Amino acid sequence: MVKGRVLSGEYGGILVRQKSDEKIELGELLISDTPDGKILLQVFDLIYGSQISQLNLELISGMKLEEDSDMEMMDANLRNYNLARMKSLALVKNGNAGLCKSLPSFFSEVREVRKEDLKFLTAPKNPLFLGNLRSGTKVMDVDIFLDGEKVFAHHILVPGTTGRGKSVLISNLLWNSIDKDYCGLLVLDPHDEYYGRNKVGLKDHAKKENLAYYTPREVPAGAKTLKINLEVIKPQHFNGVADFSDPQKQAMLLYYKKYGKEWIEAIVLEKPLSEDNDKQKFFREETLAVVKRQLLYLLDMDFANNQLHCNGVFCLNAGNTTIHDICSELENGKIVVVDTSSFSGAVELLVGSLVTTEVFNKYKYYKTKGELASKPVVSIVLEEAPRVLGKDVLENGPNIFSTIAREGRKFKVGLTAITQLPSLIPRQILANMNTKIILGIEMKPERQAIIDSASQDLSDDDRNIASLDVGEALITSNFSRFAMPISIPFFEDVVRESKKGEESVKKDFSGIQ
Amino acid sequence: MKFAHLADCHIGSWRDPKLRDASTLAFGKAIDKCVEENVDFILVAGDLFNTSLPSIDGLKIVVSKLKEVKDKEIGVYIVAGSHDFSPSGKTMLDVLENAGLIVNVAKGEVVEDKIKLNFSVDAKTGVKITGMLGKKGGLEKGYYENLMTEDIEQEEGYKIFMFHSLITELKPKSLEKVDSHPISLLPKKFNYYAGGHPHFVHNEVQEGYGRITYPGPLFPNNFKELEELGNGGFYIVEDEKIEWHPIQIYNTFPINIRVEHKVPEQIRDEILAQINNKEFNNTIVTIRVSGVLESGKISDINFKEIFNQIYDKSAYFVMKNTNALTTKEFEEIKVDAGSVKEVEENLIKEHLGQVKVEGMDNAREEGLIKDLMHSLSTEKKEGERVVDFEKRVKSEISKLVNL
Repeated sequence: MVKGRVLSGEYGGILVRQKSDEKIELGELLISDTPDGKILLQVFDLIYGSQISQLNLELISGMKLEEDSDMEMMDANLRNYNLARMKSLALVKNGNAGLCKSLPSFFSEVREVRKEDLKFLTAPKNPLFLGNLRSGTKVMDVDIFLDGEKVFAHHILVPGTTGRGKSVLISNLLWNSIDKDYCGLLVLDPHDEYYGRNKVGLKDHAKKENLAYYTPREVPAGAKTLKINLEVIKPQHFNGVADFSDPQKQAMLLYYKKYGKEWIEAIVLEKPLSEDNDKQKFFREETLAVVKRQLLYLLDMDFANNQLHCNGVFCLNAGNTTIHDICSELENGKIVVVDTSSFSGAVELLVGSLVTTEVFNKYKYYKTKGELASKPVVSIVLEEAPRVLGKDVLENGPNIFSTIAREGRKFKVGLTAITQLPSLIPRQILANMNTKIILGIEMKPERQAIIDSASQDLSDDDRNIASLDVGEALITSNFSRFAMPISIPFFEDVVRESKKGEESVKKDFSGIQ
Repeated sequence: MKFAHLADCHIGSWRDPKLRDASTLAFGKAIDKCVEENVDFILVAGDLFNTSLPSIDGLKIVVSKLKEVKDKEIGVYIVAGSHDFSPSGKTMLDVLENAGLIVNVAKGEVVEDKIKLNFSVDAKTGVKITGMLGKKGGLEKGYYENLMTEDIEQEEGYKIFMFHSLITELKPKSLEKVDSHPISLLPKKFNYYAGGHPHFVHNEVQEGYGRITYPGPLFPNNFKELEELGNGGFYIVEDEKIEWHPIQIYNTFPINIRVEHKVPEQIRDEILAQINNKEFNNTIVTIRVSGVLESGKISDINFKEIFNQIYDKSAYFVMKNTNALTTKEFEEIKVDAGSVKEVEENLIKEHLGQVKVEGMDNAREEGLIKDLMHSLSTEKKEGERVVDFEKRVKSEISKLVNL
């Protein structure tokens, strides 16, 4: 179906006149057939065109408004029209797509894109389904996959304003990854929304054995109680998590050096650092008092009758293997969801820091041993990413998350960072996020931060991004040929569809008489 | 009300006849103590035997002890454990139950693909007991996931839940690599949870559940346990009072030598120095040597002389472990210290997923391998015809691989 004709423009800004009885939308994909192949075009701007001068147009509209005149000057279809500015995304030739380095010829037709034009969009190795290709608002029957192993290792950024579908996107991403053995995902879930405690969620997946859910409260059957032993915490786990001054950090390190795994207890009980118990020679009394108070608050502990009492997830007698268990689950390609809804932001990040540090160190070790290739990629799903990756946070020094953002891909550990405010994240880190799944963003500076760090040239896509509706996204990735507009299906629909294909397996309960 | 809680007796576990007798003796001693303490009933939370079809020697003693308590009207309630469960259903536990010597409490029915457990009621006390069996590789998890908990949770009266699984939240650091299940899989609101499977002693009241206990094995089941536990034991529970009773069959004397920068002669001298001026009456002596020898071979350490000297000091049994000992010449060889079971586990894990079978994930594959190894290691029983033995093994294998 012909939708318009090329009339002028330049490379990167081809001007097409829209056929009067057709409609061209912002973000729509179109095809220009050329002798060299099919040029895939995408609309990034729409403007009015007219053969009539501006003065006469104003006159006609005035007469229509004021005198209710139906005066038309010349043939309306010929004289007044819409123009679309579009850019070429790819040249498709013999089923392969490459960069297009030429313009479609003058007055050549552009037509609607069809499924068969997009046969080059095949599923890669380790396919991770992200959604259906979208042409404007029209959802096409073309599944969009990226190589999940590469995408997770090279970090994913999900920027978008509240209510544009970030949670649905992440739910889908997790749902589609749960049965993949090439990746293990750690999800710090501050809204306790992914497991599906009281609604549809990951627990409803046929492969739910690949899901581990840790929660500190009202543990559902099959889920694990989140308890972490104090002995697994080290001073460096607080980097980027809580505001400790340099002297306070040094005090913590001194205690760790002296008391090892029992350093927190030693600080709270104010155990001596030297035989003469003169702490003043190491640091001021107030420093220790602040550290002690901060630790008691962060770790939800009380100190009474010269004894330490733990009230929260951190405890003295249990949770010896929790961090190890989570790491093993990730290494076995599972999704680990940690319910952090009842935690303060600092505690949530501390839990994340504990697990992430352990996983990262293990993977570094595997690399030195030459065993990394056989391990699944691990990605840490982080909500409100600027809390640990923000410029202001990183001014106080690096933390485990920023370290992973910079060098994690070499060790198959990546981040899936979700944020409303990408502009708070340093450009270097944004540029390291090699896949961005962009949802609707209203604020110009936030869009600009994404455009400036995208894997493809999105300099003309500002309006396109601003106009992304709920459930619409634009993927820009080092692992895709062009920035792909997609439609994200409703999570409930995905679950319902997958249930249709499930076969009931006869269960064996031998031994129960 | 007074009852005893035993687990992991592993009758017939040791290869060496002298140690194999020890687990049987420990069982006998524990039963004697139960009778002496006048308990109302006895719980055995899995792995009474080390295999589903144990040898006659151990069986004879177990049966005579069970008969003794039956005559005294002391009920014995059990669940099958990962060692004495058989997927084919052919286990000695069934024989003992049919003879009226024990009651297997893992009883129930399957209703719409869910397990509905029934209670066995102890006639003397009215205590209601139910439980879940244990399987190799933690495969009982699927049973728990399909357990109807509401009815048994709402049942009134004093209730006991027997189980044979390691609970994740109670796992000590030393067992971090062992398969476990979250506590949330257990039904709630029982008074006492009689656990078995992990070989450590644990007793703790868990919020929302009740008292969850592991008595540990009745007798150490491998070299490491002999070193670390020394002896086994069991619980006697009287109303709210719970007491762990050790079962001392033999004393143990562990010797642990690190050999860094040492030569075989130094190792020998060091071990002999440790046994100097000591008597080992009724004692099992364990010698663990680990590290890298400065020079020479492992066989250069004169263990024969060391063993002789220890036996001369009246030791009951001497054993050594040099799994983590290597020499400089062979240092590059990867050495994984641990029991045979740990080595097997590691080997299985390393090779998982090499053959792709539809519908078979790593967890199922691991479970199947362990079940197959278990079934294929079955030995021919005394008096069993070759043809019957083959038929029995084939039947188990067929069931496992769904033929």
